[in-house]
Amino acid sequence: MSRPIIVVGPITYAMKGKNLLARHGINCRVERVSLSSAKNGCGFGIFVPYRTDEAERILRQAGIPVSGRSEWGA
Amino acid sequence: MTYLDNAATTYPKPREVQQAIAEAFRRFGANPGRAGHAMAMASSEEMYRCRVDAADFFHAPGPECVAFTLNCTNAINYVLKGLLKPGDHAVVSCLEHNAVMRPLHALANTGVTWTEVQVTPGDNDATVASFRSALRENTKLVMCTHASNVWGIRLPVERIAVLARQYGIPTAVDCAQSAGLLPVDMVDSGIDYLCIAGHKGLYGPMGTGMLITPHGEKLPTLVEGGTGTESLLEEQPSDMPERLESGTQNMPGIAGLHAGIKFVRRIGREHIFNQEMLLLRSLYRQLSVMESVILYTPIPDAKYFAPVLSFNVKGMQSEEVGRIAVRAGLHCAPAAHRFMGTLETGAVRVCPSVFSTQADMEALVWALRRILMKKSGRKH
Repeated sequence: MSRPIIVVGPITYAMKGKNLLARHGINCRVERVSLSSAKNGCGFGIFVPYRTDEAERILRQAGIPVSGRSEWGA
Repeated sequence: MTYLDNAATTYPKPREVQQAIAEAFRRFGANPGRAGHAMAMASSEEMYRCRVDAADFFHAPGPECVAFTLNCTNAINYVLKGLLKPGDHAVVSCLEHNAVMRPLHALANTGVTWTEVQVTPGDNDATVASFRSALRENTKLVMCTHASNVWGIRLPVERIAVLARQYGIPTAVDCAQSAGLLPVDMVDSGIDYLCIAGHKGLYGPMGTGMLITPHGEKLPTLVEGGTGTESLLEEQPSDMPERLESGTQNMPGIAGLHAGIKFVRRIGREHIFNQEMLLLRSLYRQLSVMESVILYTPIPDAKYFAPVLSFNVKGMQSEEVGRIAVRAGLHCAPAAHRFMGTLETGAVRVCPSVFSTQADMEALVWALRRILMKKSGRKH
């Protein structure tokens, strides 16, 4: 089953993004992402099971540095 | 115990700060920002909440602007050594702490120069004019204390920041004595770098501080290392705040600092300031009628002073007087003593906290009277 994670990188931005999405009513949580998913190695992402595309758009508009998507998670 | 050395570090710390630190050992025992397991995420969450509240307290653009440091000195070093390059010039005030002056002297070896501008207590127009006249073509930074750690003299940092911005020069403010007491609005003021002590007016534990800036991504680093992110990169990641936070952070300290910030918000920064000023003004009045006491500043006016007062006793070294829990000597700020002509004697510094009372002021006056009687050879 696909587990869509929006890869952010630094945990501070991941948490900021999570709070932002929560304010938009989007259910999500911060997770550590796999080495292959993270930009240049270790990092964090936001697991967004539903409304993932909308969530990514909100994050990018808010200046959260999104570096990609991992569909399978950590 | 009468403790009036709060300008060095506040004591006691609020109960909730002590509890938060103890609790951090139980709840936040894992390294924040590294692993993804539950306790590591809980630590990261707590650290993030502290950033959010600190950013909110100083009205910084966002939590990513808050980098934790060892102390205020550490934050100041980051700014000075990051921004000033050979041939650059800086403008500082004549009241700076060694946290500013010693890094500048170290940078002098690389060709950095600076001008110390005269502060005119009680005349902000004159102070701002001094800053303006010190600016040069190669001035790359204006840095000043928000409030003197010796005399309590406040600098009009908002006006100084506006002035510097007109010339495209960044401003950094040493908030060691002011954070938690004086209002600081980073967004409104346009101050670029706030250097904060966590263990003074914010009531956190010693070993905590912050550098708050929206420009951290461009600031060259002094320390590089593990950040928990982008580990394949050989160079330091650019994202704030991790860029400035290499290595394991002081998690219990940050939890304590967070509790301290919440404590100040709950009591009210302005209320704490007013209460301390009231005590200090009362002390000032008592000291001003004691013939042997030398006071260097006018009675502290809230507009121009922070709640710090220094004095001397005629014919005595400050260290002889400062045997109660106040701080004597030069307070790591020879520039401020040179300004007031007390470089030879030092001074006795009194600084209350939110926990100080009128009884503490009376105890100080009583102790001072005993010292004076002893000095004059009379029985007491």
